[in-house]
Amino acid sequence: MGEGIISKKDTSTNEIQHIYRQKTDKRILKKNPWRDYGLHLTVLFVSIFAMIIGPIEIQISKGVEVLIMPLLYTMVLGLIFYLDKRIFWIQRKQSRVAEGAMMLFIGILIAKLAVSSGQSIHLLFEMGPALMLQELGHLATILIALPVALLLGFKREAIGMTNSIGREPEVAVVVDKFGFNSPESRGIFALFIVGTIIGTVFISFLTSISVSVLPLHPFAFAMASGVGSASMNAASLGPTLAAFPHLETQIEAFAGFSNLLSFSIGIYIVIFIALPLTEKLYEILEPRIGRDSSLYDGDDNDA
Amino acid sequence: MPDLIDGTENVSVQGIFNWILLLAIFSIITAIGNYLGYRHPMYDSLVGMGILSLLTFVGVWMERKLPFNISSIIYISVIGIAISFPGMPTADFVSYYVSNVELISVVTVFLAYVGIGMGKSWNEFKALGWRSIIITVLVISSTYLGAAVVAHIVLIMTGVPA
Repeated sequence: MGEGIISKKDTSTNEIQHIYRQKTDKRILKKNPWRDYGLHLTVLFVSIFAMIIGPIEIQISKGVEVLIMPLLYTMVLGLIFYLDKRIFWIQRKQSRVAEGAMMLFIGILIAKLAVSSGQSIHLLFEMGPALMLQELGHLATILIALPVALLLGFKREAIGMTNSIGREPEVAVVVDKFGFNSPESRGIFALFIVGTIIGTVFISFLTSISVSVLPLHPFAFAMASGVGSASMNAASLGPTLAAFPHLETQIEAFAGFSNLLSFSIGIYIVIFIALPLTEKLYEILEPRIGRDSSLYDGDDNDA
Repeated sequence: MPDLIDGTENVSVQGIFNWILLLAIFSIITAIGNYLGYRHPMYDSLVGMGILSLLTFVGVWMERKLPFNISSIIYISVIGIAISFPGMPTADFVSYYVSNVELISVVTVFLAYVGIGMGKSWNEFKALGWRSIIITVLVISSTYLGAAVVAHIVLIMTGVPA
C-alpha cells in the first residue's frame, strides 16, 4: 500500500484526495481487472468459508471476551494466499489489482454507512458536539506515544510516527510539510506500513476487549471506530455491532458521520493542531528523555 | 516498478465499463456471503448492493468529472444521506433494500481484497524493527481510546442516555 504514496514526492496538501483517485485509476482503468477470475473466485471462496464458520468467541478471563469476526479470516487468508507461493494464481499482479479494486469498494462501505446516517440524521443534531470533539481525542496519541518513541531511541522520526494514526491523508500532510527524504517522513512511512499490516487486526482485538471491559457509551465506541482507514473502521465496527445488536443502525450512522468528519476536517486538525503540538512536545521532551544517538545513524536497527 | 509511471488517466468508456463490472462482481460475492451468514434473501441483497454500487459509481464519476477538488467519499456520503433522508420519496425503498445488506457482509468481502492487496507491503513490514511495531500499537490504541473517552464524556455531559 505504501508505494503509491512513497513514489509521489511532491504531494501538496490540496492534492491529498488525488492519492486515492490516481491509485484507483492506474490500477482499474489501464488493466481489465474483472478478467482476473482467479482473484475474484478466491475472494468468493474465502468469503463463503468465513461466513459459514461465523464469529468465534474466546474468553480470555471472566468477563473479558474477544470476538473474532469472519472479516478477520478473509483478510488473514488473503494475506496468506498472497505470501504462499504455491497459490500461483495470487501474485504481485493480483495484489495490485486487489488494491485498486479495494479503493473502489471503499465507496460501497461509505455508501452503506451514509444510508444508515441518512436514516438517523436526527442523531447528528443531537450529538454533534460529541462527534466534533472526539476528533480532539485523537491527540492522546501525542501524549502517550511520543515519550515512548523518544525512550526507544527515535529522534525526529518520532514526530512523524506519533502525531496521528498515519493513514494516507496524514502521510501526505507530513511529506508535504517536511519533504520526502526527511526523518519525519521516514517515521510516518514506518507507521503507515506497520499500520497497514497489523492495524486492521489489532484494532479489531482492541475494540473487542474495549467493549467488553470499558463502561463507555455505545455511541462513543461507534464514533471512535472511525479513527483510522476504511478497513480499520470496518474491522472496529464488527465487534461494536456484535456487542450492541439493538443499536445497529445508530452505530453505523455514527461511524458514517465520523468518517465524513475525519475526511473533511480531520486533516486540518493534523495540520493546525496535531503536528505543531507534536513538534512543541518533542522540543520539550527530547533533551530530557531522548537517547544519545539516533537509531538510524547507527546500525542497531533490529530488523 | 512499471505501474508507477504516472499520467492522469482520462475516464474512458472502457474505464467506466471496468468500474461497473468490478462493482457487479463485488455485489454478487457480497450477496452470496450475506445469504450464507445472515439468511437475507438473495434478491433483496442484490437490489441493496445495486443501490450501493450506483452510489459509488456516481461518487467516483463526479469526483473525476466535476471541476471541484472534492473526494468521492464526500460525494457518496452526501448523496447517500440525501436519498435515505426521512421524507424523501426514495427513502423507504433505499432503506428497505440497503438494510438487507449487512455491513459485516460487505466488510468481510472488502477485507479479503485488502488482505491480498497488503501482501505487497509484507517485505517492507519485515524490514522494520520491533520498535516501530510498539509505537504503531501505542498510536492506534491511544487514538482509538482517546476518541472514545472524549466522545463518552461529551455524550454524558450533553445528557445522551446510554
